[in-house]
Amino acid sequence: MYILNSILALSKRELKINYRNFSDILSIFLFFLLGILIFVFSVGPNTEILNQISISIIWTLILLSNTLSIRKFFQDDFDDNNLILFHMSGLSYELIVLVKIIIVWVCLQLPFFIIIPIASILLNIEFQNLKIIFLSFLIGSTIITCITAISGSMNLLNKKNFAVGGLIIMIFSIPVIIFAVNLVSESNDIIRAQINILLGIMLFFLSITPWVCSICIKFGLQNK
Amino acid sequence: MLLANNIRFNRNNINILKNISLSISSKKIIHLKGDNGIGKTTLLKILTNILKPEQGEIFWNGQNINKNPTKYYKDLTFIMDRKTSNEYLSVKENILFWHKLCSSKIKKREIESILSLLSLDQYTDTPVGNLSYGEVKKLELSRLIIEQKKLWILDEPYIGLDNLSMDLVTQTITNHIKLGGMLIFTSHFSPKINNMETFEL
Repeated sequence: MYILNSILALSKRELKINYRNFSDILSIFLFFLLGILIFVFSVGPNTEILNQISISIIWTLILLSNTLSIRKFFQDDFDDNNLILFHMSGLSYELIVLVKIIIVWVCLQLPFFIIIPIASILLNIEFQNLKIIFLSFLIGSTIITCITAISGSMNLLNKKNFAVGGLIIMIFSIPVIIFAVNLVSESNDIIRAQINILLGIMLFFLSITPWVCSICIKFGLQNK
Repeated sequence: MLLANNIRFNRNNINILKNISLSISSKKIIHLKGDNGIGKTTLLKILTNILKPEQGEIFWNGQNINKNPTKYYKDLTFIMDRKTSNEYLSVKENILFWHKLCSSKIKKREIESILSLLSLDQYTDTPVGNLSYGEVKKLELSRLIIEQKKLWILDEPYIGLDNLSMDLVTQTITNHIKLGGMLIFTSHFSPKINNMETFEL
């Protein structure tokens, strides 16, 4: 019961802090939209080429804009010792990580469901394909959030180089891209198989992320 | 009762702490003293199980804190050198968060009286980022009252406070000791409190 209280208090605090820092979140979405705009201009007026690569563009930019959010996970709470405070109140590091993942997903990935349709207008994506994009994004965004959490916690061990975190995200999310991008053009049977694979990857990451992150946090606190 | 036995700690292959043994029982205070960089904060971090000592063990009520940290943390308030209040949240929001986080039994009215005692009542809706260093420190110390734990471990509780607040901290500590609490703190300032042992590092 006490733990439930602490979890609720923690998630409320995180939501509030994210709300106060709304400009941070907004800049991530602007990065996404502007990136798509740049792609549109660089491809030129040929709509056929754009149609072929539109979904890859969306996924690439989702990935890139997620690398901007690495610091949102643990860095601030690590720097001012809040992670220790949360831990001392009875929450294990694994639980803290799980709460953070859920909150960051709500704050950073959920709004993409509004922004992706806007992007799809820019990229001339057909409306019936949007359903499959949403489905793959629902699963893929969870995986990417987990990967970002892992790279954010690994960044606690390394005080200088924040670019490394982005590299980790890109390497780990190659499988997500492979299975998510070509969903639209495939037949129904293959879509089902690929969604199942994506679900498998999601469950894998959901189960290992709390442990990996908590180990990194513990190491980080000891080397601080 | 907290018992630390023969603690040794190295950092970057340099020996910082060697053969440190200390024990504290109910109604006692330990004042850790020493020059800058001698390892006072490191020792506090070892005593709170954040850092693992190279050698030696620490026991709380007869149980090794390394093996049973949750039980130990239930009795411990640790206030570190840096603020844990969030600069984007207001004073009140921070306090209510701590209140809920550790399921404190303190009533809302008491929280308001603490705030007015610390003369923070006019800033309840101000974000912590706009407060001065001393005010943030006072807010941090209010966690002692909110959490109501038995063992207090404080890192430099007197730093940045004005005379009035320093007296208030000393008084709070005296009350806490009277009620059977214990305290370990580091400071370069020596307050006048009964039952205080000075531990030179």
